Amino acid sequence: MAWNDLRIMVGDKVFFFWTLAFPILFIVVFGLLYKASGNAPAVAELTVVNLDQGRWGAYFVDKIKSPGIDVVLAASEPAGYNRLLVLPADFSEKIEARRDQALAFKKRSDASTKAAARVETRLYQAIARVISELVLYGGADLKQFWDGHPEFRDLVLVKSQFPENTVTVVPSGFDHSVPGTTVQFIMMMVLIYGGITVMEERKKGILGRMLFSPLSTGELFQAKLLGRWLMGLLQALMLIVVGKIFFRLNLGSFSLSFLVIAVFALAMAALSVFIGSLCTKEDMIIGLAVLGSNIFAALGGCWWPNEIVSPAIRKAAMVSPAYWAMDALHKLTFFRGGPADILPHLGILLALSIVLAVVAGRHFKIRD
Amino acid sequence: MRRLFLILGNDVRRHLKAPLVVAIFIVIPLAMTGLIGVVFGPRTEGSQLPPIAVLLVDHDKNLVSKFLLGAFDVDQMKKMFQVTVTDEPEGRKRMEAGKASAMVVIPERFTLDLLEAKPTTLLVVKNPAEQFLPDVVEEFMNTLAVILSGAIQAFAEEARGIRAMIDSPLASISWEALGPELGKAQKKMTSAEKYLNPLLIRLREEETQAAGARTRFTQADLFSIILPGMAIMFLLFIVQTLMRDILSERDDGKLRRMLTTPLRPLELIGARLLGGWVMGVAVLLVMVGVGTLIFRVTWGPFGYFLILGGTASFWTAAFFALFYALVRNRNQAGALGAPIILAFSLFGGSMMNPEAMPKAFRAVGILTPNRWFIDGAAAVRDGRFPLASLVILAGTGLILLALAVPALGRRTSV
Repeated sequence: MAWNDLRIMVGDKVFFFWTLAFPILFIVVFGLLYKASGNAPAVAELTVVNLDQGRWGAYFVDKIKSPGIDVVLAASEPAGYNRLLVLPADFSEKIEARRDQALAFKKRSDASTKAAARVETRLYQAIARVISELVLYGGADLKQFWDGHPEFRDLVLVKSQFPENTVTVVPSGFDHSVPGTTVQFIMMMVLIYGGITVMEERKKGILGRMLFSPLSTGELFQAKLLGRWLMGLLQALMLIVVGKIFFRLNLGSFSLSFLVIAVFALAMAALSVFIGSLCTKEDMIIGLAVLGSNIFAALGGCWWPNEIVSPAIRKAAMVSPAYWAMDALHKLTFFRGGPADILPHLGILLALSIVLAVVAGRHFKIRD
Repeated sequence: MRRLFLILGNDVRRHLKAPLVVAIFIVIPLAMTGLIGVVFGPRTEGSQLPPIAVLLVDHDKNLVSKFLLGAFDVDQMKKMFQVTVTDEPEGRKRMEAGKASAMVVIPERFTLDLLEAKPTTLLVVKNPAEQFLPDVVEEFMNTLAVILSGAIQAFAEEARGIRAMIDSPLASISWEALGPELGKAQKKMTSAEKYLNPLLIRLREEETQAAGARTRFTQADLFSIILPGMAIMFLLFIVQTLMRDILSERDDGKLRRMLTTPLRPLELIGARLLGGWVMGVAVLLVMVGVGTLIFRVTWGPFGYFLILGGTASFWTAAFFALFYALVRNRNQAGALGAPIILAFSLFGGSMMNPEAMPKAFRAVGILTPNRWFIDGAAAVRDGRFPLASLVILAGTGLILLALAVPALGRRTSV
């Protein structure tokens, strides 16, 4: 019977739109978005208006330049810019007089915050470099600085790497968006499709008629649960395969990742039977499923990286089943974790599945 | 006309008797707005990011590494970073478990190498599952590295002296010879102070907006930006649900029975359209009221917003009138309706800031009512009359209406 449920769902062309086409659209959009906002542009732009009458302005601009910063010189403040630094006309004069000054650094609020942070850091570094050279130069007349001065040397270097036994290349936006979208859409589609079909079969008397077969109510419930679980698994499998083929998704251990998604889908399947047994209107199931799945997806880290939310929200996120699935997938994808690393996650998701299945079983109705 | 209003009144009463579905669809955008606003809203602590967990492994345990540790202990940095000093095996274990955003490893002989003016390298191990925070740590360490490099070069002679003292037994140090050296160092310090206190070159940061307007951004501002996008998305869902009567009445034979009365098909169509429009405006007003009360959302001149909301509701009603005239049955309507709304919302900017979208997506967005409503709401918020949005929504709405009425007329007379 579960197989038959799955066959009917798959026979519906719309099923593929909702379980495959639409999630792929999400994956592409969020994958590109993660790429754009998560990883700042390869080169962060900085517009510099150098009004300085002396030589220090150009010297300071040289110190800002680096492979990651694209310095664009402008004669006056342009209408369109992302980040703007203004060097005033008396920039050199003040330096030579050893008088302190504040440079206007303007950031567009809608521009990449990460690119802004990169530029800002570079500006602080440039300031540190220039001041170091000034200190090295000593108390002599700074007008003679250009005749010869000590050059700044980077004695302390910074090297970055990922932990051993984890990824070796920077994860792409799709490595974040494929698991997030898969978890979100399993949640949404299993709840909507699974819930509505249970409700409709009850209202149309299909469930009642099935009891004329050798099936018991318990077996009927198990079949409905299994059918919705299979639907979630099929959807996950399709999205992962698409992710692997088109977006070079690397989930670490495929079998463990699929196990996490399978246990998560089981919890959602139980919830869908429960919702389908309680609700009497299609719109209500859709509304509840959209509300619940969106909130759980957002809390669980399917929409944005959980690192950027406050510790309080991160704690609150633990009520979301999506959180446990996403955290387990992160451990497998980014940390190349093994079974021991995801055991707590699997335990929690399995416990949730059992609780939801028991509740759904108790509320499973054959007739209204 | 009287009959049209009677049907309309009856429909409204019927929907008000079972308001749960509409209520859920009103709650969703408000809940989403609340959640997104809380996550992305400006924080009172001054930093936009939560405290960054950093592990610090000090193999050097000497003068300069103490300075590095001290850098994290400054008040401003304490708010930004949550530093835990640990040993390397424990640190690596915790990094591999994703328990911190980054781990900074200070190598052995770090102080000695620097005092000898030899290049040395700090290692930053980054959490691969995180996208923002590890880079903040890396950039901070880069800045500290520049400051340290500068300080060591500026006080190179003194550094060499300290280096010699570290290895020498206390008895072998000539305290008499130290006097002039300390005097020189003091001079340098005094000279450096001119550049450092106050800092010779500082940055005066300013956040600007494209129009060059407001620079302060509050949480209510964020809610004000998010809620219109959510409101139009769920307005589409709600009007779609309410106008589904067009199909269901036809499917279950109510329509045929109604047409045995003196009702004319045009009156029925008018009632359904007017019903969608009126209920749409009512739903928007509820969202405006709740948004204002809970999230302190600012909408701008209410009259302008009411005109915009009314026009968007009219567009929505006309669109779904045509939609229900074209689809064959409830299943087809259910299968196509929600995907169309979600596509409108995705491309039109209800689900994400259009500025953050790829250019091609933004171009598609101008074909959606969401984009025009969101742009119009932004204009109203700035106190401007949303002329462009109104012209587009009203114009295309009228075209949809002109197509919908005869199409519905044909379906009603069947």
